[in-house]
Amino acid sequence: MTVSGASCAKAEISFTVNGKAKTLCAYPMERLLDVLRQQLQLTGTKEGCGEGECGSCAVLMDGMLVNSCLVPVFQAEGSSLVTIEGLASGETLHLVQEAFLECGGAQCGICTPGMILAACHLLNGKPETTMDEIREGLSGNLCRCTGYSQIVEAVAEAVRRRMTV
Amino acid sequence: MRSNPSDYEMVAPGKLHTIVSLLAQEPGLWLPIAGGTDVMVQYAAGKLPARKLVSIWNLPELRRIEVTESEIRIGAGCTYTDLRRHEVIGREFPLLGSAARWTGGVANQNRGTIGGNIVNASPAADSLPALLVYDAELILVSVRGERRLPYASFHTGYKKTLLAADELLQAVCLPRRFTGYFCHARKVGARNAQAISKVCIAALGRIADRVVDDVRIAMGSVAPVPLRLMETEHTVKGKAIDSELLLLARKAVAAEIRPIDDIRSTARYRAAVAGNLVLEFLNRLSSEQMGAEHEQVADALARWNRLPIDEAIQTILPCCGSEAWAQGMVARRPFADEVALVAASNETWRSLTESGWMEAFQLHPRIGESRTSSPKPMSQTAQSVEWSAQEQQDVADAEAAMKIALAEANREYERRFNRIFIVCATGKSAPEILKILRRRLKNDADTELYEAAEQQRQITEIRLRKWLRG
Amino acid sequence: MNSNSIVGRAVPRKEGRDKVTGKSQYVDDLVLPNMLFGATVRSQIPRGRIRNITFGSGIDWDEFVIVSAKDIPGKNCIALIGDDQPCLANEVVNHPEEPVLLLAHPDRHLLPKAVEAVSIEYDPLPAVFTIEDSERGSDIVWGEDNIFKTYLIEKGDVDGVWDKADHIVEGEYTTGAQEQLYIENNGMIAAFDAAEGITVWGSLQCPYYIHKALMTLCALPAEKVRVVQMETGGAFGGKEEYPSMIAAHTALLAIKSGNPVKIIYDRMEDMAATTKRHPSRTRHRTAISKDGKILGGEIDFTIDGGAYLTLSPVVLSRGAIHAGGPYYWPSVRIHATAVATNAPPHGAFRGFGAPQSLFAMERHMDRIARAVGLSPVEIRRRNFLQPGQSTTTEQVVREPIDLGKLLDRALEVSDYHAKKQGFAKGNQVGATRKGMGIAAFLHGAGFTGSGERYLSSVVGVEGCADGTVRVLVSSTEFGQGTKTVLSQIAAEALGLPYENVGMAQPDTLEVPNSGPTVASRTVMVVGKLVQSAALGIRQTLISSNLLSDTYTAGEFRVACENYVAAHGEFRSWSRYEAPSDIFWDDQKYRGEAYAAFAWAVYIAEVTVDLTTYSVSVDDFVALQEVGKVLHPLLARGQIIGGVAQAIGFSLYEKVVWQNGRMQNSQMTNYIIPTSSDLPPIRVHFEELGNVYGAYGAKGIGELPMDGPAPAIVNAVQDALGVYFNSIPLLPEDIMDGLSSSSQDNDVVSAGRVQ
Repeated sequence: MTVSGASCAKAEISFTVNGKAKTLCAYPMERLLDVLRQQLQLTGTKEGCGEGECGSCAVLMDGMLVNSCLVPVFQAEGSSLVTIEGLASGETLHLVQEAFLECGGAQCGICTPGMILAACHLLNGKPETTMDEIREGLSGNLCRCTGYSQIVEAVAEAVRRRMTV
Repeated sequence: MRSNPSDYEMVAPGKLHTIVSLLAQEPGLWLPIAGGTDVMVQYAAGKLPARKLVSIWNLPELRRIEVTESEIRIGAGCTYTDLRRHEVIGREFPLLGSAARWTGGVANQNRGTIGGNIVNASPAADSLPALLVYDAELILVSVRGERRLPYASFHTGYKKTLLAADELLQAVCLPRRFTGYFCHARKVGARNAQAISKVCIAALGRIADRVVDDVRIAMGSVAPVPLRLMETEHTVKGKAIDSELLLLARKAVAAEIRPIDDIRSTARYRAAVAGNLVLEFLNRLSSEQMGAEHEQVADALARWNRLPIDEAIQTILPCCGSEAWAQGMVARRPFADEVALVAASNETWRSLTESGWMEAFQLHPRIGESRTSSPKPMSQTAQSVEWSAQEQQDVADAEAAMKIALAEANREYERRFNRIFIVCATGKSAPEILKILRRRLKNDADTELYEAAEQQRQITEIRLRKWLRG
Repeated sequence: MNSNSIVGRAVPRKEGRDKVTGKSQYVDDLVLPNMLFGATVRSQIPRGRIRNITFGSGIDWDEFVIVSAKDIPGKNCIALIGDDQPCLANEVVNHPEEPVLLLAHPDRHLLPKAVEAVSIEYDPLPAVFTIEDSERGSDIVWGEDNIFKTYLIEKGDVDGVWDKADHIVEGEYTTGAQEQLYIENNGMIAAFDAAEGITVWGSLQCPYYIHKALMTLCALPAEKVRVVQMETGGAFGGKEEYPSMIAAHTALLAIKSGNPVKIIYDRMEDMAATTKRHPSRTRHRTAISKDGKILGGEIDFTIDGGAYLTLSPVVLSRGAIHAGGPYYWPSVRIHATAVATNAPPHGAFRGFGAPQSLFAMERHMDRIARAVGLSPVEIRRRNFLQPGQSTTTEQVVREPIDLGKLLDRALEVSDYHAKKQGFAKGNQVGATRKGMGIAAFLHGAGFTGSGERYLSSVVGVEGCADGTVRVLVSSTEFGQGTKTVLSQIAAEALGLPYENVGMAQPDTLEVPNSGPTVASRTVMVVGKLVQSAALGIRQTLISSNLLSDTYTAGEFRVACENYVAAHGEFRSWSRYEAPSDIFWDDQKYRGEAYAAFAWAVYIAEVTVDLTTYSVSVDDFVALQEVGKVLHPLLARGQIIGGVAQAIGFSLYEKVVWQNGRMQNSQMTNYIIPTSSDLPPIRVHFEELGNVYGAYGAKGIGELPMDGPAPAIVNAVQDALGVYFNSIPLLPEDIMDGLSSSSQDNDVVSAGRVQ
């Protein structure tokens, strides 16, 4: 990675996003959230609070759920990122996306990308997740519309479908 | 977002020695940033004064956990998720595991580090009370080398630490000597997840012989620094947990903590809840001990049930000096539980002849004395001497005058009944015993024999229960 | 309705796929060429005269677009009900965070520093911060007496009941401010073109409110103002009137600069500067007979409106009309007042005055129960409105609603009696106390009284060139299902597959004014107009001999294509007509306040932890009669979401004020429940139909906000035996309540004793 000699200049940063390699120039302290949205036009990741409380900006970084508003883009160097745009395969939705549609897990939709990624992270870690574990695993993602019930049901449905596949 | 990214510089040398060199070149100029869960919040609010940042995220030298025989060494760059996933931490340091589980949500646990929690030094930080009770030590590193210091001394004031301007926290070490402790942690926040604590507690305790043998209590959000409640520990150590002790403990907590009013809560609330949390811990410690005790009793009995006959007799004999009794008990094995054992003991005792009783009577020292009158020194085991001493504890504290009176009354009894006076002394004071003695002096021989036998029955029962509890 | 019906089924959310794939376009996702970013310089004091403004050093001010009140082409106000609220403060500021200046720059990162570099000097003026301060009248901060509005509702002979009362029960109840906390912050983009005028794109509920405000502000005719709604990430009333302000700001910057300008608030700014639920104080004095029946009473309902009028008169109106709850009042006097304080103006938030006055009513019912010696169940049963009886505004209940049966069903589903018995025993020991609480209530859907007539909503349905159908409304989708349900209704009316019908993006250039998306009116009122407009399309095709009375989807498509090919634009309109049997007297404030009420009984089960004094809601039953459930999943989602917000209102969400400014304007310190804090919320519906609503539906969006708070506080009282009359009820308050004596001093018994 290039470390700039002059102060406050941009750095060249490389990572993969949704399977595609990207190299871009950014100030090291630009938030990963802003780089994704503005430089890469991946606007599916949202800003709800800017303080890591709401989870709307969540992405997967090397398989781990992180709040992208708290990640300086410099630290994403060499990582493998997955955003909401990377979940579906063409027209085929991810299991969790399907479940959200069927169970009413999305109302206004602003928390939905982060919520879906949090659910994916949860299921990747533990396929046989219980209802309590679902609630705990999503407790870092705030939703103001649904009261969580239909989101939790959607994730539970995804767990069920996964088991029967 | 209230900061301008172009105002900030960041480097990521990737090697610890390069980083500490950098810190040494311009002390205080470079701010280390690990997972960013504190730094980036300040930055977004436009409140990050530091303009130069050095990334220590995911440094192999900082992000590892080493387990030796005596300690676990947790790299400062380990995330809460790393802590949650580590088997030894889960098994031997559960207080740290719980703290990791309730710090923020999953996304913040994947980035936040134990080192960041320590160095950020917020009194509300979740993992710090656990580190205090586990006697953590910190390893700090700089160009001048490593130094190791007790975590207890690290915080010098609100958000002030002993970390020098050119130093980096490298690791936190926990000694592996806390298995066997009862542990308890609780965080009180405004909601069940993703909350800054209003008060939190991490505590370890151990009971031996029905009193608090060791206790360690630390709390967050009750002082400018994470606080180890030394005074409260001192109040509780060596005592049995009863309602009186709980009151004393609550008073000690109130005197020791310095909570404040802030945007999240009030000093009054924090003070009350801090007291409640400590009491909750002590109550749980006490009933957990009961539960542990229950297991202990079952184990001891099961083992005795399996012993060879001679050994079994010798083992149980100090509870009651009568060979006949001991033989009778052994013959009736196995016993299912304590209740059955005690019932059999009573029955066996009652069925003995006078000579069987006399044998038991002779085991005891004269009340107020420690040596026995028995011609059979082998029955006077160290155990029975100790138990006699315990039973006669109250008597031993009697005044000199009382002692003289007791000695006289004892001799009178011996003259009359040709044996020493037997009474179940546990919980009775010297004046009480004297009173009983004087009353029984007036008994006829038969009545007195049965009274003495009944007392011995009680003594035997008490000693049986003690024996089962080790 | 047969099994092939679209209405009544859980059809896929129209925009659902875009939402789960991240494709939906919210305002911050939109970038226009040469776009600048805007920011607002705001007052830091609650009230004062602006003496001087200086632009500090270290900023290259030439690069910035700067707008002040002097740049306003039209009237410096945000036109709503009154015009007292300036778009930009000119001489005086009346609340903290009041907008004074606007800045714009191509680089959004330069704005925060620039905003900080503007210093405003004031001559401070005295300010008031509480209802009591305002009422005292020693400092007048609005109008002549700090009073925005009053209403008086009178029924029967109130003054005559006191002598006849066996019990007189008094109580005072207060509710705090509540932040809507939509997860998407307020945002707007404006572009100006001398020929076309102003266009704004934004996160909003009411395109035509903004349209009207911009006309006044920019002195532009209707056809030169265009408002387009983007996908909106939550609103709950918080984007009913406020967006007019941010639209005005972006418009002014766009006009001055000649560039498109985007303003997106960050969370701290949004929380501190925008509207919140009106804090309230309700005083009850009620005359009760010995068998627990309400003879009459006085209700004094007061709300804090903040610094400007905005929507306070309407919030006050709804709160006043709901203040008597679902009970029969032979006589009542409701005196309602909205007062001014120097806080940022309070505004619309789901429920709109009703959660405040119904909290008081339902707490008061439990108090009455205790005074009389009846259970909370029985006191309600004896006082429920019956069909044929009239409400506090003398609206006769014409539908066969049986509230007693509703109560019975809720009690059964929640296992209320068995649990209460068990808790009475269990509460003798241990470190927790459990309790059950009930709330019974109603919610009127649609605009109050003559409001709908005044709105005179218009709806269009379009037959498109490709044979599909489009609903044309200014009603917006922000999660509650507008697009889905209105498409269902149109599809049902036309007998077409759901997939063939959609809703146009609300764009004032394209859609008529179907009224604001508020007051739980969208499905009920607008939906009914969609139904008739759709039938208009059908009728036209049939009259044109392009279609027979019964047809297949394919036949319809062909007919529609042909019609458009022959005649061009193919639209059918429907305008609201007030039902002839609904009368409302605005002068006496009496009559049929709403076309329809939905009715509900909610039951909460709580545990109070005596170690931490915190309350957890362990089970919650929400049972409501809603006319007709048009979409089971959406309806259930609305109820659960509303209950969750109301649980926040009761137990978690406290706005910490200091001199009129919100101190805890961050998500870290303003606490809403997470998924770990809420129980599964159990939802049940009953359906009596509704002749005034589409397919029999009543409005339900706001209903769930009214019940949970009193149900929960009633449950806490059941658990602890202590009176709490104020929300939010935090653990700190519970601890204080337990430690001080729990005497209830407010119950005064009249002389008559058995």
